[in-house]
Amino acid sequence: MTKGTGSRSRLLLIVLVVTALFFITLDLRGVSLTSGSRSITQTLLAPVQKSVSAVFAPVGRFFSDVANFGSITSQLNQLKSENSSLKSQLIVNSDIKAESRQLRSVLDLAGRGSYRVVPARVIGRGTSSSFSQTITLDVGSSSGIKRNMSVISDHGLVGLVKNVTRSSSIVLLMSDPTFKVGVKIARSQSVGVLSGQGDDTYSLVLLDPAGIIHVGDYLVTNGSEMNRPFVPGVPTGLVTSVVNSAVSLTQTATVKSFSNLNALGVVGVVVAAPMMAPSVPILPTPIPTVTVLVTPSPDPSMTGIQFPAPNPSTFPSPSPSHSPSTSPSFKK
Amino acid sequence: MSPTRIFSTVLFLFLVFAVQESAISIIHFPITGFSLYVAVAISLIASEDHNGSLVMGFLSGIVLDLSPTSNSAFGQWALVFTVIGYIFAVNKESIADLTSSPITFVILVAIGTSAAFLLDLGIGALLGEENGSMNHNLVVSFGNGFWSIIFAPFFLPGLRFARRFSLTSKER
Repeated sequence: MTKGTGSRSRLLLIVLVVTALFFITLDLRGVSLTSGSRSITQTLLAPVQKSVSAVFAPVGRFFSDVANFGSITSQLNQLKSENSSLKSQLIVNSDIKAESRQLRSVLDLAGRGSYRVVPARVIGRGTSSSFSQTITLDVGSSSGIKRNMSVISDHGLVGLVKNVTRSSSIVLLMSDPTFKVGVKIARSQSVGVLSGQGDDTYSLVLLDPAGIIHVGDYLVTNGSEMNRPFVPGVPTGLVTSVVNSAVSLTQTATVKSFSNLNALGVVGVVVAAPMMAPSVPILPTPIPTVTVLVTPSPDPSMTGIQFPAPNPSTFPSPSPSHSPSTSPSFKK
Repeated sequence: MSPTRIFSTVLFLFLVFAVQESAISIIHFPITGFSLYVAVAISLIASEDHNGSLVMGFLSGIVLDLSPTSNSAFGQWALVFTVIGYIFAVNKESIADLTSSPITFVILVAIGTSAAFLLDLGIGALLGEENGSMNHNLVVSFGNGFWSIIFAPFFLPGLRFARRFSLTSKER
């Protein structure tokens, strides 16, 4: 670099760096100019994303399938063995099949359908140019979408709406490192905070010092005040390992999400939650424990068989007000 | 750089940005994602002269800062690319030319891409951003560099043609 060119370059560098720092300061001080410019870009980009995603979606799915080929093969083998085991169970359970279906319908009615959901297609992903984990949906404020609404897939929680324009919205995925959601363990109702870590694993920190996490525990959202940003009862994940630290007051655990965030095609934005928190998770479908009770004969001493008293706790209660007297029972 | 060239470059960067956000980001690449935009921006920065590298860096950073999916502060990418532009500018004599040694140029683009992500990570950390586990971020940074090596030979000839087309007779 010659002397003249060098001093000009340095001056230019100082001007550009100061301008960049000026923008950063404006943004960090919350000046609406910067967020407004991003909204304009999103508004301009959404129609392009919508049309291009229709063409590019098969390509994206192809790469996703190739990337997950190993796990799909093992999953297929696992499903095959599960299928054969279920087939044999099906023969054994044929007697109680009708009763089971009936009970399931009752529980589904109580647990499902309480949320009003707007279905949406995923038209973009924003992971490759930044460390944030987001998706773009093809629905916006014209469909009733607002900021801080929960987004769910067919398996559970996906994230929450971060930005909304008229025809599109950006969802912060639960895998994002800044994402935090209050959850409770379905088994013990212990409350904790689930955080994204930027990859496929999640970190659970229990808030209850006396609470105990077990591997295999199901987690559901705890819900927020006025159901924003999180509605209660949505499944979030499964505990895969528990970390016991001597220096920590509460337990922590590693969690695997129910939703595969890399293969999202259609999701639902929860626009209205039920008045009361559901007592059972809406997803995945709860499988009730069916207890078959035999009607005692008029005089048990004649046969020498002792019949147990009906135990209502063996049935998952669809609502807190569900009294034991109304618990379903089966007679054979 | 002439104002006409700055305008045409910004338009071109917007086009690449739209392709990145609407098409490339949908594809779920193995290892990590690929940022076509960052790779193209680094290639443009590396192709410019001293002041051109700085200006190109700043402009490409500003366009990336407009990304609605970005969590970082507005201006952060501008700062990152300006610094990258400065690094390229002061080492202009030792940086290979695309035509004379294309393989070295492609490797430089890949290194620049990874460096841009790492620099963004560092500046983000200074600004108090939460970016998750270091391992994952390193995979994202170096994964982008890896994909840049793979894909750069495909887009660099087109980029060279577009750049030559936008040059004024004086700049040629």
